[in-house]
Amino acid sequence: MPDSPIIQVRNLTIQYGSLVVLRDVSFDVYKGEIFVILGGSGCGKSTLMKAIIGLVKPSAGSIIIDGADFTSVRGSERQAVLRKFGVLFQSGGLFASMTLAENVALPLETYTSLNNDRIMQLVDIKLASVGLSGYQNFLPSEISGGMRKRAGLARAMALDPHILGFDEPSAGLDPITSAALDQLIIRLNETLQTTMLVVTHELDSIFAIAHRIIMLDREVKGIIAEGDPRELKEHSTDRRVLNFFNRVVETSEEA
Amino acid sequence: MSTPAAASNDYLSYSVEDTQLSLVLLKPITVYTAGAYDEAAQSLSQMEGLTLLVADFSKVREYDSYLAVLVDLIDAACGKRGIQVEYIGMSESMERFLASLKAADQARNDAAADVSAWRSSLEHIGEFTLRLGRDTRDFVEFFGELVYKLLLLLPRPGLIRWKDFPFVFTRAGVDAVPIVVLIGFLIGLIIGYQGAVQLKQFGADIYLADMIGVSITRELGPLMTAIIVAGRSGAAFAAEIGTMKVSEEIDALKSLGFDIMRFLVMPRVLAVMLAVPFLTLFADVAGILGGLLTGLMTLDLTLTGFFNQLQQALTYSHVFSGVLKSVVFGFLIATMGCFRGLQVFGGAESVGKYTTAAVVSGIFLIIFVDAIFAFVFQVLDI
Ligand SMILES: Nc1ncnc2c1ncn2[C@@H]1O[C@H](COP(=O)(O)OP(=O)(O)O)[C@@H](O)[C@H]1O
Ligand SMILES: [Mg+2]
Repeated sequence: MPDSPIIQVRNLTIQYGSLVVLRDVSFDVYKGEIFVILGGSGCGKSTLMKAIIGLVKPSAGSIIIDGADFTSVRGSERQAVLRKFGVLFQSGGLFASMTLAENVALPLETYTSLNNDRIMQLVDIKLASVGLSGYQNFLPSEISGGMRKRAGLARAMALDPHILGFDEPSAGLDPITSAALDQLIIRLNETLQTTMLVVTHELDSIFAIAHRIIMLDREVKGIIAEGDPRELKEHSTDRRVLNFFNRVVETSEEA
Repeated sequence: MSTPAAASNDYLSYSVEDTQLSLVLLKPITVYTAGAYDEAAQSLSQMEGLTLLVADFSKVREYDSYLAVLVDLIDAACGKRGIQVEYIGMSESMERFLASLKAADQARNDAAADVSAWRSSLEHIGEFTLRLGRDTRDFVEFFGELVYKLLLLLPRPGLIRWKDFPFVFTRAGVDAVPIVVLIGFLIGLIIGYQGAVQLKQFGADIYLADMIGVSITRELGPLMTAIIVAGRSGAAFAAEIGTMKVSEEIDALKSLGFDIMRFLVMPRVLAVMLAVPFLTLFADVAGILGGLLTGLMTLDLTLTGFFNQLQQALTYSHVFSGVLKSVVFGFLIATMGCFRGLQVFGGAESVGKYTTAAVVSGIFLIIFVDAIFAFVFQVLDI
């Protein structure tokens, strides 16, 4: 399946003030794959994800999305690149004052000239595809955490993005709900061929969904492993990688 | 048939043979191109006498979920008129994509009741009334619990969390002094000016002192102060406690065995109860000075004349009835603020809603109680 890269990250350096989080990071994400970003907390996973979707400005390097350098495009071109993304934030990021249907309809109302009937038809399809048929008129506060994430996913998919980003989709969910979310990610990836970019450190989840992973490290401020997680678990020679996959805790490491 | 046998535009080309319409879709089918397809479909739907429609998708390179909507539309339009539909030239991935959306679509729940407008507005009124009743009952309950617990704690005041008290007193009281003085002064100025114009007509200039003194200390001072405090502290308490509610801090406190009344509500209520009378006195003085200033400027008044008259007119009972009221106002404002804060549930939006409610119902309560006081004081001849 991996044919052409949809995201190319080249020599990326990101810092907050004087704190360098990532230094000289390069990797590719291919069309239609489920790409997982791993690493301990504070190693810059969220930062990397935010840089790729344009929320954080890197201090050096480039991020090329579908051939366009995201770090240099401006104005309407930037808008066009942004629209290729859908992002599911940790807590769902739903607008609390709007019903689920209104949440999902918002991007469609903003970016298309569809009439209300058509929009509602699409909203129904999106909500159904995440298993939330019949919850159109519920407010985010009236549904559970797992449902909120799925609703956030429906909104992220509203404009059929080419790339879907997930920041710790299983955070705050029970194992069953989190496994169901993994299945949903796999199903959407298979049926819609959407490229999935997932930040997680749930081992179960990684082995269930990931086609390829990169592992970041806080000391190195970059990638310490890249490839198929099953292969890495078996054959990696890097102690840190093996520790991660075998859940070994080293006392020297801070929590 | 009046329509041409074959034609095309940017989005589709079509040809008609007997009763068969063949369509070739040419452009991307996405939410952004939807409008053009709609127009094309409109013009085709005028055709009559068709029995079969063949739609060819082989030229479509790009598509998104709108594909499902378009297919739905075609199906529905043709189904209604008894026309058979055939889709050709769909790539395998396109078919799979469509199938996955259709499967989702089928699971769709159309039960969403189509509530007519008048019914929903009636429902609205009903809901509002119910909520008003519930809110009133809940507030009375809350108020009762607070008073009861305060009385219980009277012999053991150490159980109230006094740590917050100075902080709240500073914010609700001391910080409010400038605005209260300013507003009081301006109100005195305005009332003084209005009064001066009337009093001048029958040479009763000196009675400006009575008018200003009594109206400010009895009514306007306490009322204006209370309204300002409702806007400042009532809102602050509701937002503060509401945010704590949203972030589950309140639940955490309760689970640790803290009594919310003792821990959060009482320090705030007591601090405001103490602060408002002081603020009212500030407002009284500022208001009288404002009135004096207009008197000096527009009327034949002297400083000593004004104060001599004021001394006669302004009895202790005027000032103290005002201060007494302000203690009650302070109690009500703070209680309402905390009550509304604790009503918050859900998210940020709810905090905003109940903060607004805290101010609105706080001010309503002040004016309502003020009317009761007016009546009671009149009966008691205070
Ligand atoms: N907005 C910010 N300002 C300053 N430092 C930040 C900011 N966001 C994250 N950081 C720092 O950057 C590092 C990486 O954070 P993050 O990307 O959130 O890590 P992860 O998601 O892997 O846990 C951390 O040390 C964090 O403290
Ligand atoms: Mg993170």
